[in-house]
Amino acid sequence: MTAVTIDGCETLPQVFLRKCAERGASVAMREKEFGIWQSISWQQYREFACDVGNGLLSMGLQRGDVVSIQSEDCKEWLFADVGILLAGGVVNGVYATYQARQVEHTLADSRTRFLFVEDEEQLDKYLEIQDQLPAIEAVFVFDWQGLRGFEHALVKPIEDLYALGREYAKQHPHDIEECVSKGRSEDLAVLIYTSGTTGMPKGSMLSHRYILFQMQLAPDYFPLTEKDEILTYLPLCHVAERVFSGWLPIAHGTTINFAESPETIFQNLQELSPTFVFAVPRVWEKFYSRITTAMSEATWVGRKAYELALKVGMRRAEKLLAGSTPSAADDVLYEIADRLVFRNIKKLLGLDRVHGLISGAAPISESLLKWFLALGLTLDEAYGQTETGIVTMTRKGMLRFGTVGPAFANVDIKISAEGEILIRSLGQFNGYLNLPEKTAKTVVDGWVHTGDVGVLDEEGNLSITDRLKDIIITAGGKNITPSLIENELKFSPYISDAVVIGDKRKYLTCLVMIDRDNVEHYAQTNAIPFTDYKSLCGRSEIVALIGNSIEQVNKGFSSVESIKKFRLINILLTAEDEELTPTMKLKRNFVSKKYSKLIESMYSP
Amino acid sequence: MTTPLLELRNIETFYGPIMAIRGVSLQVFEGEIVCVLGANGAGKTTLLKTATGALNSSKGQVLLQGKEIQNRDPDWVARQGIAHVPEGREVFPLLTVEENLMMGAYSRRDKEAVRADFDAVYSYFPPLRDLRGRLAAYLSGGQQQMLAIGRGYMSKPRLLLLDEPSLGLSPTLVQDIFHIITRLNKEEGLTILLVEQNANVALQVSQRGYVMEVGGMVMDGASDDLLKSDDIKEFYLGKKEQGIRGKRRWKKRKTWR
Repeated sequence: MTAVTIDGCETLPQVFLRKCAERGASVAMREKEFGIWQSISWQQYREFACDVGNGLLSMGLQRGDVVSIQSEDCKEWLFADVGILLAGGVVNGVYATYQARQVEHTLADSRTRFLFVEDEEQLDKYLEIQDQLPAIEAVFVFDWQGLRGFEHALVKPIEDLYALGREYAKQHPHDIEECVSKGRSEDLAVLIYTSGTTGMPKGSMLSHRYILFQMQLAPDYFPLTEKDEILTYLPLCHVAERVFSGWLPIAHGTTINFAESPETIFQNLQELSPTFVFAVPRVWEKFYSRITTAMSEATWVGRKAYELALKVGMRRAEKLLAGSTPSAADDVLYEIADRLVFRNIKKLLGLDRVHGLISGAAPISESLLKWFLALGLTLDEAYGQTETGIVTMTRKGMLRFGTVGPAFANVDIKISAEGEILIRSLGQFNGYLNLPEKTAKTVVDGWVHTGDVGVLDEEGNLSITDRLKDIIITAGGKNITPSLIENELKFSPYISDAVVIGDKRKYLTCLVMIDRDNVEHYAQTNAIPFTDYKSLCGRSEIVALIGNSIEQVNKGFSSVESIKKFRLINILLTAEDEELTPTMKLKRNFVSKKYSKLIESMYSP
Repeated sequence: MTTPLLELRNIETFYGPIMAIRGVSLQVFEGEIVCVLGANGAGKTTLLKTATGALNSSKGQVLLQGKEIQNRDPDWVARQGIAHVPEGREVFPLLTVEENLMMGAYSRRDKEAVRADFDAVYSYFPPLRDLRGRLAAYLSGGQQQMLAIGRGYMSKPRLLLLDEPSLGLSPTLVQDIFHIITRLNKEEGLTILLVEQNANVALQVSQRGYVMEVGGMVMDGASDDLLKSDDIKEFYLGKKEQGIRGKRRWKKRKTWR
């Protein structure tokens, strides 16, 4: 395949060294230490990455060796990431939420030689399975706290690696440059294991061509420059966060800010007010439900003002959506609503400076997009997967809800006879590691079979219907796309996620994961006593509340598509649980198996 | 289902702008010992104070046998048969043991029965009999705790609220006090709501338990089940599975299931 180049560079390390030299002391990233944001410049980023790279070279890293990083997002994650690539290695990110058994699979399958772990907790996972992983020659720990006095032949604090690297650089000052200049576009750079809903995760092989293809999408498609600020909060092992927080900033100088933890995303957003936000629908939904909840607590005046403003905003949004220009009066009213109400809401959410908003990684509900539009925020939807990279995005000002936009340049899309979306892109992956048959099944004649069903309109806009294997065929022979219904369900502030079931069944049912904060708040305001999560889910008032939300959604669908029965999942699920993907989506297959009894209870008379 | 003796429904209590209890519900049935576990600052004491009216709740109800009693004066609540034994052995230091016990019976008019109850207290807490003329200030910590419980008993309550009776006591004294608490429950049929940090002993004597964290309930269930829960074991009983390194500083995330 033809190489993708940026300023004559064909690999990530080449771009990195060149751009760091240009940017010098300007801020590359910020991380909170003891409550204060500390900055790291591009110069420092480069120094730390080179220390890692030199350190690995001194330990005998060969071109193409796999090095894994098992950590939550932090600055060391990126130092290691780039450092490994500088030395010619291949990076494999391991989710910090994985249990030891899952860690073992990816480390063994990828033949990892060196391992980076975040802290004591992650280290313990390795120690539990060290006997099964003889290929690992050294383990470096980012945070040595709690390990004082701990001795292990292979385990060292990361500072030791930095020191090794600096020592090595004194004797071999040009090794890194040489290593980097040898890099080629087709070289394997990154492994990304996708959270297969069935069986063990598969490792997608990504080359520098793949990475640079994503890098050059800005600023033409993604409005990103060195002036922009973004918040990093999704796992860096996930391809979407790697694109936005790892690769694009290296190419375009955007400053990244690490969220303190997954629980503090909203505080951090408020503090930073980033100019560019990439989020999964779950987060966008949370913005909406936070405001809805805040409004129910507001004073009468506050509530009325919000209702009026929203009415004005919605009217304008509808006109924009219909393709007509809002009248002068609409604009004036909107301006007033914005000054009095929306601006405060946007400040509260940390969205007052934002100019690029992108939703991806899962389908988003149209009602939600409309709400944001009413506030004056246009959300763009992007589409892609690990195997293809990000390949489409809606274009600013087009406002066509329900589509994920046309393909980027050098991306071809076609729909197969079965309705499956096939993609051929300059930036696609190099197949699955150790799985030639799976690769041959996925990439046929150069086209990636995405497993998604969709349609292309006459202007080339792609719409995603659902996952091919998720399409439900009821006992009556009707084809139903569950994600369409699920998205509308999730728009309810009380429903966090839902799985619609009904394949080969007489009618549709669903399992619901409630939105804990909002449902608790509802119970509180309506004096419904409960103790813990389980008892909350067991209250008949709460079941009725969810039932109501489902009834509302049912009205928008035909009777075969309506949900006849539902059950609440009464266990509070966290990212550690296997029911959820690392981005907190319910895994359909896993959930249907695990809760099969609950599901059967909805079909037994 | 029978009406609980004491029921809290969606209680919210504030200290100024700070919400100390965020929507707590709890039930205590006649004849039970129920314990509430939680770390410092979880809101356990606030919960008891709200139940007795020493603090007013801004939302929710307190029901005594189905009748609303929230936000009434504490002395009125006490007359309804709820005795509160506060944390830290708050006895009247300048009164003698006997006078302290009399204060417990302050609202009672049945002189005969009061005299009998004196004897009952002395039989449950024998050391107090010998010390009846001594100023409470000169008692040891364990004796003061006995006195505080005895004083609560003297009001002939239907429900006894105990706030951390084990605080600052030696392990054997803790055993003694809890033995007596169990006897009061068995022999007198006294219903007890017990707030404790000492999870082990509290779960041993109680039939049911609640776990509080940052002002909310995170778990409830039969005490036997709670003793078996992994989260309780790790966070309240300090039992950790030994890691491969022998010791483990990090804690797993709480799931409360």
